[in-house]
Amino acid sequence: MRAIYAFGILILIAFLGSRFVFRGKRALSPFNFLFFSGFIYVFLGLYLGRHGLNVLSPRVLTGLTPLISLGLGWIGFLFGFQLEYKYLKKFPKKYIELSLFQFLFILFFVSPVLLVMLRWLYPSTQMYLLYGLAVSLALLAGIHSPTLLNAVSSSLSKRGSYFFLARFLVSVGGFWGIMGLALIASFWHYPFFESGIILKGALILIISTLIPALMGYFFHLLTKKRISEQDLLVYLLGMVFFISGAAFYFNLPPLYLGMVLGIVFSNLTKMHEKIYPLLLSTEKPLYITFLMLIGALWEFNLNWYVALLVFLFITLRLIGYVLPFPFFDKLLRFSPQLPFRFGLCFFSSGGIGIAFAVSLKLAYPLPLTDIFLSVALISIILNEFFGLLGIKHSLWRMDPQA
Amino acid sequence: MIILSLLFVFTLMFFLKSSALLSFADPLRSTSIALGFILLFAYLFGKEINRIKLPQITGFILAGIVCGPHIFKFLSVTDVKDLQLLDGLALSLIALTAGGEMRLARLKGRFKAISSVVVLQTAFIFVGFILLGWLLPSLFSLQSDGVLPSVFVFALLMGTLATATSPSTTIAVITETRAEGKLTDLVLSTAVFKDFFIIAIFAVVLSTTKFLSSPLQGFDLSFLRHISREIGGSVLLGAVIGGGIILYLKYIKKELTIFILGIAFFTYQISQGYGYHPLMICLIAGFIVQNLSPLGEDLILALEKVSMPVYVVFFAISGASIELPALKNSWVIALIFVLWRGVLKFSGTYLGARLVKEETCFRKFGWAGYISQAGVALGMAIVIERTFPQWGTQFKTLVLAVIAINQIIGPIFLQKLLIKSGETGRKSQN
Repeated sequence: MRAIYAFGILILIAFLGSRFVFRGKRALSPFNFLFFSGFIYVFLGLYLGRHGLNVLSPRVLTGLTPLISLGLGWIGFLFGFQLEYKYLKKFPKKYIELSLFQFLFILFFVSPVLLVMLRWLYPSTQMYLLYGLAVSLALLAGIHSPTLLNAVSSSLSKRGSYFFLARFLVSVGGFWGIMGLALIASFWHYPFFESGIILKGALILIISTLIPALMGYFFHLLTKKRISEQDLLVYLLGMVFFISGAAFYFNLPPLYLGMVLGIVFSNLTKMHEKIYPLLLSTEKPLYITFLMLIGALWEFNLNWYVALLVFLFITLRLIGYVLPFPFFDKLLRFSPQLPFRFGLCFFSSGGIGIAFAVSLKLAYPLPLTDIFLSVALISIILNEFFGLLGIKHSLWRMDPQA
Repeated sequence: MIILSLLFVFTLMFFLKSSALLSFADPLRSTSIALGFILLFAYLFGKEINRIKLPQITGFILAGIVCGPHIFKFLSVTDVKDLQLLDGLALSLIALTAGGEMRLARLKGRFKAISSVVVLQTAFIFVGFILLGWLLPSLFSLQSDGVLPSVFVFALLMGTLATATSPSTTIAVITETRAEGKLTDLVLSTAVFKDFFIIAIFAVVLSTTKFLSSPLQGFDLSFLRHISREIGGSVLLGAVIGGGIILYLKYIKKELTIFILGIAFFTYQISQGYGYHPLMICLIAGFIVQNLSPLGEDLILALEKVSMPVYVVFFAISGASIELPALKNSWVIALIFVLWRGVLKFSGTYLGARLVKEETCFRKFGWAGYISQAGVALGMAIVIERTFPQWGTQFKTLVLAVIAINQIIGPIFLQKLLIKSGETGRKSQN
């Protein structure tokens, strides 16, 4: 099948599917959540891919890869656009400190354990690759998404102080992971450098940051005066396509470039009320198309090694989120106190977690990356189920006033 | 500010594509960056060109030429080929808009004028090109070692191609200038109607020239069956799709952006696959929504929302795909053909309009609305190339040069005509 027809099928499914995603109040049951969150489309993509109907065959996927890159850039932009300083500064500084500590704890707790396990499972693989894989998984563990929390809270009407803190943390938490992704993609840049790693890595990081930052700045200047909705749409699409394309061209993470563009543009522009409806109108169909492509891209191989890694990843993540909260509480002096179970709010990685995993898959065309994607996708989907139970358990018990 | 942004985007792309960064880049992955760049650059360039009273479309096309594979090479030949996948989408959106803009109430009583202009323009161009071949046969000789076409065959084919206009450009300029009125309607409907007419004529001419080139094969009348199937099927499909759009707009009316994109995309792909005419299908669909339901304005609004980015890329890529080397080698002959075509268009339009007593403005300046050429002419040139492999490629190269010039000057002429008629900007006032 030609890429163009496969693209048509994706449009059709995205059109039909967008009517069911993030709609209704059926999010409380794990099965319904599979539809609500859109993860069902990952499986649909898997079925349309080489392991099923082969509509999205490897050849077709190669033709559609720029589309995945554009999707990643768009998700990065959407994420970055929410990180508005004016909004963030309304929250106490220790919220951001807590977010950073939480991320660092996960990173330094998960990566060494995973590295030991990976060395045991894959003894013949080069060490720097295993190290990269362990760090990537740890970064993924540090990413969480607000979709699940919002869904559960809206259907349970739970909106106490814990909820607002949790929502803040899940909303900004992805930032650290994406920053980590940028560092990995710069200093472990594929094809790997043989010399001058620091210098070349720094150069790549600077380019990855400067291109979207400059682009965001110039287009803020361009859109400063009153412009039509049509102009805005063309500029937005052009900017996101350009930086995603640049990322794809230089094998940089489009998610990071998109995020930087979103942050810069969001903090300069005063047109949020005009831009949000535009972004929201494209969000669902794009997300569904993206999930299906990822499903098709997935080299599904559920063997014992992968199962073990998934189990370890989920367990470490659970411990990493639950264990340190009383310690953080003492360090930052929160009121009301943060008990262990507060950590149960952070299981869900959502779409941003998937985008992170796919960014790595695109940046590193290696056999090991397929293992990474399998572990990542299975864990993300399982974490949604556990996250649902975790949030209910956590918010119900902690927010008596709600 | 626009100039500054243009410079910024251009410099950034220049830097990213420079040899200094080439070792970090994967040239096979350049389509997405090309898409983003051309969308921004062509749009800004179009806006800047608009300030000096030229149509934005000319700016899009010029941006494509400048950044395309022959000058700055920001877009490679592969990028251009990949991005041409958007052509179908753009053409369908353009035809849906055209159909949606054709209001029966306004067209009533104009059918005589439309047919008169179309028939006389076509007749003048055919006769004119045959006459030119008879007077200056050296213009109609191709540089080839193989079998060459006779002057008559060459002139007949060139005449057919010269008749074709680009309705997509016409619609795009009308949309951009927000023109509305009698003359605008006449230019638009004539351009669209002529598109169908010329496709039918082309089938006849192709069979005739095939017969003239190799008389032993005999005259093939099967084209008549093909034409009726193509037109009948397209009208039927257009009616069905139009009905579907009405039902959707009436009962669902959600996710309009993706619905419109999906309709345009599938219509083009399905019609291509089954040999129907996508432009005709979409035109009929748009026409039905506008004239058989009160939902025409909703359709137009939804189309206006989604179509601009697609138009920008479509016209910029049509500029980037212009074969500049072909233009360089045959520009003198191409220019003569372009001028002669202009003269014949003027004569045909003038007489056609006079015959049905159209207004003086249209009689004198109406021809300016039919200069641009793009997809249809290009498509016919490709068919000729395949039908006559001995000399088809050389013929196509010359035709490409003619199309290139017409596509650059055509939108400018049309915009001047619309301004002269005083019908520009009316739509926004309403």
